[in-house]
Amino acid sequence: MRIAGTTYSDIAVSQLNFLSAQQTKLQNQVSTGQRVQKPEDDPAAMAEGLSLQAQNSTATQYSQNISTLQSRASTVYSALDQLKTISDRATEIATQADGTASPAQLQAYATEVGQLIQQTVSLANTKDGSQYVFGGTNSGQPPFTTTTDANGNVTTVSYQGNTSVMQTQIADATTMSVDAPGANSTGTGPRGVFSDSRFGADIFSHLISLQNHLQSGDTAAISSTDSPALLKDEDNIIYQVSANGVAQTRLTTAASAASSQQSSLQTAFTNLTGADLTQTIVDLTQAQNTYQAALEGSSALLKMQQSLLNYL
Amino acid sequence: MLGLFATLNLGARALQAQQAGVEVAGQNLANVNNPAYARQRVQYQTSISVSTGVGQEGTGVQVTTIQQTRDSLLDSQVRDENSVGSYWTAQQSALNNTQTELGELLGSNASTASGTDTSTGLSTQLSDLFNAFQSVASDPTSLAQRQTLISQAQTLASSFNQASTRLSGIQSNLNTSIQDDVNSANQLMSDIAQLNGQISVAEAGTNNTANDLRDLREQKLETLSNLGNFQVTTSADGTLSISGGGTQFVSGSQVASSLATQDRQGNLFVISTADNSDVSFSTGSIQGKIDVRDGALSDLQKGLDTLASQLISQVNSIYSKGYDLNGNTGADFFTGTGAADIGVNADLQADPSQVQAAGAAGATGDNSVALALGQLATTAQAGLNNQSFGDAYGLLVNSLGNSLSNANDQVTNSQTVSNMLLTQRDSVSGVSMEEELTNLMNFQKAYQASSQIITTVNQMLETLVSMKTV
Repeated sequence: MRIAGTTYSDIAVSQLNFLSAQQTKLQNQVSTGQRVQKPEDDPAAMAEGLSLQAQNSTATQYSQNISTLQSRASTVYSALDQLKTISDRATEIATQADGTASPAQLQAYATEVGQLIQQTVSLANTKDGSQYVFGGTNSGQPPFTTTTDANGNVTTVSYQGNTSVMQTQIADATTMSVDAPGANSTGTGPRGVFSDSRFGADIFSHLISLQNHLQSGDTAAISSTDSPALLKDEDNIIYQVSANGVAQTRLTTAASAASSQQSSLQTAFTNLTGADLTQTIVDLTQAQNTYQAALEGSSALLKMQQSLLNYL
Repeated sequence: MLGLFATLNLGARALQAQQAGVEVAGQNLANVNNPAYARQRVQYQTSISVSTGVGQEGTGVQVTTIQQTRDSLLDSQVRDENSVGSYWTAQQSALNNTQTELGELLGSNASTASGTDTSTGLSTQLSDLFNAFQSVASDPTSLAQRQTLISQAQTLASSFNQASTRLSGIQSNLNTSIQDDVNSANQLMSDIAQLNGQISVAEAGTNNTANDLRDLREQKLETLSNLGNFQVTTSADGTLSISGGGTQFVSGSQVASSLATQDRQGNLFVISTADNSDVSFSTGSIQGKIDVRDGALSDLQKGLDTLASQLISQVNSIYSKGYDLNGNTGADFFTGTGAADIGVNADLQADPSQVQAAGAAGATGDNSVALALGQLATTAQAGLNNQSFGDAYGLLVNSLGNSLSNANDQVTNSQTVSNMLLTQRDSVSGVSMEEELTNLMNFQKAYQASSQIITTVNQMLETLVSMKTV
């Protein structure tokens, strides 16, 4: 083939351009560790990568949701734990306030029960952040309000929350709640913490009744009515505590599931879009060597082209 | 016998002929780096011989013509490949702009320990929006979470707006560029018609070819081939006819028709001025720009619009049934109808408590609406071919990536073919310095030798003349 004067340099330029482009691409892969960055690099992997990122971001959100729920579950647990102590003490008082107790003792008990009622009301109005925990989803206002008589004794406690609970997403297609409404007299739905008509639990009216009976010295009514009623409250509280424990266990499992999902998504993302560094560096070195060889070759050729003139 | 004077003439002709050889070698060497130039050769022929008593006797050499070395098949292959290359280069450049303007990049997980959260673009912002709904759902009365939600939604909406504006910008640049191409094509065709006229005049009635005019015309033809795949036919008188897309544009020295553009709903299309009929090419930069504008770019614009309008309608249909912290209901979350005008309800920006997260009136702790909105992230949407929002967007990015990567491959292929053709054509038409230097030496030696004839004859004449004085 006849070689024209510009052929050498044209071929050299296009070859050097090609090799420079390849080097730049490989250099970029090595420095970022990414094989796929732009849609053109690998369109299928790009779409898959975006999807993995979205899933990862969702999993991160689930982790945050779970930790929000965990903190709320411990707030609920601590309230339930204190409630259990109050209930234990009330049961104890109901047992001790039998016929052998003196009227003065009964009055002292009545005063203590009065304090227990106050404590329970304050527990029932526990807040988590800005929300009242035991108001159902009507959580913007204190769920329990009290009316008091002239002596400052609580006569009635009424519930102004509702019986819905807030669901939070902890995994794809899985929601859960760590809440329980303060009271539920509807006969359906989640079990109320302080009062539930299905299980005969109504700690406020039972405590008020105990207080009234202690004040009036009606020990017979205490043992026949108040003690069995308080036991039902105790059962209800134990149910709530164990439900809370189950929920916390479930959250721990969900948290580790979300975190292992995150790490497996990240591994998948790296495998899909990451550069195989060893291979890429080998390729880059090869491209650099080829580039150098091309430079030397073409400079030798371009020099040689002058040679005929040198001989003339 | 020729006689001494005739031999002197023979020497003189030989000197002229060798001089022409040197001149052409000089012209070739001067144009060694001119890509439009085809090397020229002096055609020699023995001059008319004379019948003498001893038979036919030669009278030396004469130059018949200076010919350029062109392979018209290779020339037309180079032009065809030019058209293909320009078609894909136009697409590649527009798609590259689109890719840049969309700004969808996968994050580098080498630079961050946490990995995948450094990505930019709509994909991340869509996830962020749904996550913000989830965050409101996990703490429905928190004003801070609501504020975050509103700002995420604003970020997403303005990204949609920006993407829409930028893609429209690319569209209008393509239209401007089509107009520029059409103008250049018309200029080139009128230049070629003019050169046709000059060539036919220069060549009329002679054996000569108007080499330099033809080089210039070929150069113009090649520039024209970048714009569209015009068909070129050669006539006996050395002129060319140019047609394209079924229309005759240049015939001899006449421009039969020019290209013009027609605005159809904001997009420019190419027509012929002769009969206003559509002119469509199969390759060339004009068609490349039209195809990318009405293909990949338009698909992406429509896709983003559909995505935005589905997002607006799906979010609003759930959201409007919700209740805000003050018990109000019925407002929309997003305003607008598509990617260009999607926005966040201005009331929310002023007062985050108006976010309607609750599913029931008076239950501020109710999160069912926020939760349902968060769950939209993974819900298949009938309006998006049963894809979730994120996946539908992923497909748009995928499709853009496919178009661009295809264009990249085609450009590389076409460059390879083009380079091969150019090398091949250079091997025919290109100037080789070694060759020309060798020719230069040949002609120089022949010139020296021919001058020796004149010297010898001169001496012979002197001898003859001096005979008388002796």
